[in-house]
Amino acid sequence: MVEFMKRALELASEALAAQEVPVGCVFTINENIVAESRNSVNITHNPTRHAEMNCIDTVLDYCKENNIDYANYFRNIDVYVTVEPCIMCAAALNILKVNQVIYGCPNDRFGGYTVLDVRKFYEPHYMLSGNLCADEAMALLKQFYKGVNPNAPESKAKKKPL
Amino acid sequence: MSSELEPPEKKPKITGNNDLCIETIDKCIENITSSEKNLQPIINDEFHMPIQLVKVYVGHIRSAKDISRTILILNERIPLKELSHLKRVRCQCIILCPTTFLHNMSSIQEYIEIHALELKDVFDYFKEINVPLLPPKIVSQYNETKKIWPCNFHPNTYFEKLVSDHFFSSYEVKLHRQFMGVVFEIAKWYVMHRGTSSVVGGIFENVNVTVVVNPINNRIVTISYDYRHNHPMQHSAMLAIDNVAKTQNGGVWSTDYDNNLLPGLEQELIDYLKEKFSHFGIGMKKSKTDVQEEKSVNDLHGEGCGAKTDLHGEDCGHKTVVHGETKEKDGPYLCTGYYIYMLREPCVMCAMGLVHARAKRIFYCFNNSDTGALNSVVKLQTVASLNHHFEVFSGFL
Ligand SMILES: [Zn+2]
Ligand SMILES: [Zn+2]
Repeated sequence: MVEFMKRALELASEALAAQEVPVGCVFTINENIVAESRNSVNITHNPTRHAEMNCIDTVLDYCKENNIDYANYFRNIDVYVTVEPCIMCAAALNILKVNQVIYGCPNDRFGGYTVLDVRKFYEPHYMLSGNLCADEAMALLKQFYKGVNPNAPESKAKKKPL
Repeated sequence: MSSELEPPEKKPKITGNNDLCIETIDKCIENITSSEKNLQPIINDEFHMPIQLVKVYVGHIRSAKDISRTILILNERIPLKELSHLKRVRCQCIILCPTTFLHNMSSIQEYIEIHALELKDVFDYFKEINVPLLPPKIVSQYNETKKIWPCNFHPNTYFEKLVSDHFFSSYEVKLHRQFMGVVFEIAKWYVMHRGTSSVVGGIFENVNVTVVVNPINNRIVTISYDYRHNHPMQHSAMLAIDNVAKTQNGGVWSTDYDNNLLPGLEQELIDYLKEKFSHFGIGMKKSKTDVQEEKSVNDLHGEGCGAKTDLHGEDCGHKTVVHGETKEKDGPYLCTGYYIYMLREPCVMCAMGLVHARAKRIFYCFNNSDTGALNSVVKLQTVASLNHHFEVFSGFL
């Protein structure tokens, strides 16, 4: 488990280096990585391109290319993500009925558990656990928010609290 | 995902009948665009909830001349931060503290002696009463609240507007209804050309449509149609957000129909819309004539639509209010300032996507009782800890 989170943290560092909010994510099936990605909101100008959404698209592409029923495929997926999935990603992962979600640090601003427990809207919903390598995940976030989101207009970037 | 495709009301299913579908859509368009009924803001339940009460101790002062001194001492020793909307005194009764403050103490007399010893003989008796827990937000709540206990109130014109039946001017109502008409025309086009829809009791199933409008010039920035049957994340709002990204030289989802004007849309549909809605600008690209048109439109309706950006003033707590000035300098940023028109209430994923995109206002026609996140299962716009809050309106039919 820890090894997957370590990999997700590497991806988060990659995001930081690319001036993106440092969140990384790894999808596994039976302890094998099937998708990995990181936040890419600024480069795509699409605020929904969170690490989880990128991984989802990777899996969907893979399923399409290989004629695999994605609905079944997702049910076996475990999600390792450095920061608690936001409300949007939490909803997406529940729509896809992934098996479980393991996160690093909580997400006080957008968290799909901390701010609003999205699981209550979906039945069945994934298993959720947190606090795996939370300090490392949080340290990356802190580093990012010390700087400024380069793509946000001046006035908005300044408002970003941690 | 299938749960999200359920219609809000479960009625007998009529499927595969495109004629009926189109008839229903036409009827909707007729009703939506001909009605002059104002739209309904979808707001925090706090505005409509009955007054909530909390139990407090009050003490009756023996001698009226002690009132002001007693209040001063109490405010210092037993401050009531959570109840600061209430005046501390009514006649000769003074609020001492919520009953929960006592913890293990045996009586309010003991509590007073511990916290404000000099007041131990000021009261001739104590009683428990219920007082309003929350500060009144609107005049009608204030009137109810002050019947129970005197309270402070600062009227907020934006809040009053929210609960009134006239949030929008009649010009604005007409405009919003026209854009919702565009939403239905797109649904209709897809039914006619793709035959993918079914209609249940007048409520659309398997269909969502999003139209993104820049209210500064009333141009349609982008349009999207649900593609979730092929890609479970490509709900129309998520597609719309990506399409907007494409207008800003970003975007990730490739589509079969990329073009500069309206990414992801078939030319045939664009032509259909342009013919039908020649009075709206469609697509981001501006020709010189568009700019001129825009100018004359603004001159014409200076009041109606021009006033839109500052409707809510400072007091609404929205941080993205001021646009006109800064916009040119910054260029468009995500969906900041944009209005989003949707056939159905967006699901939790899409609604949060629109929060991330910082959309300014969401308008939708049908509730989505299973996963709708603007009214049905939750009102995301009222979740205080989020860093962006859009306004939500419905009530088209
Ligand atoms: Zn997310
Ligand atoms: Zn959705």
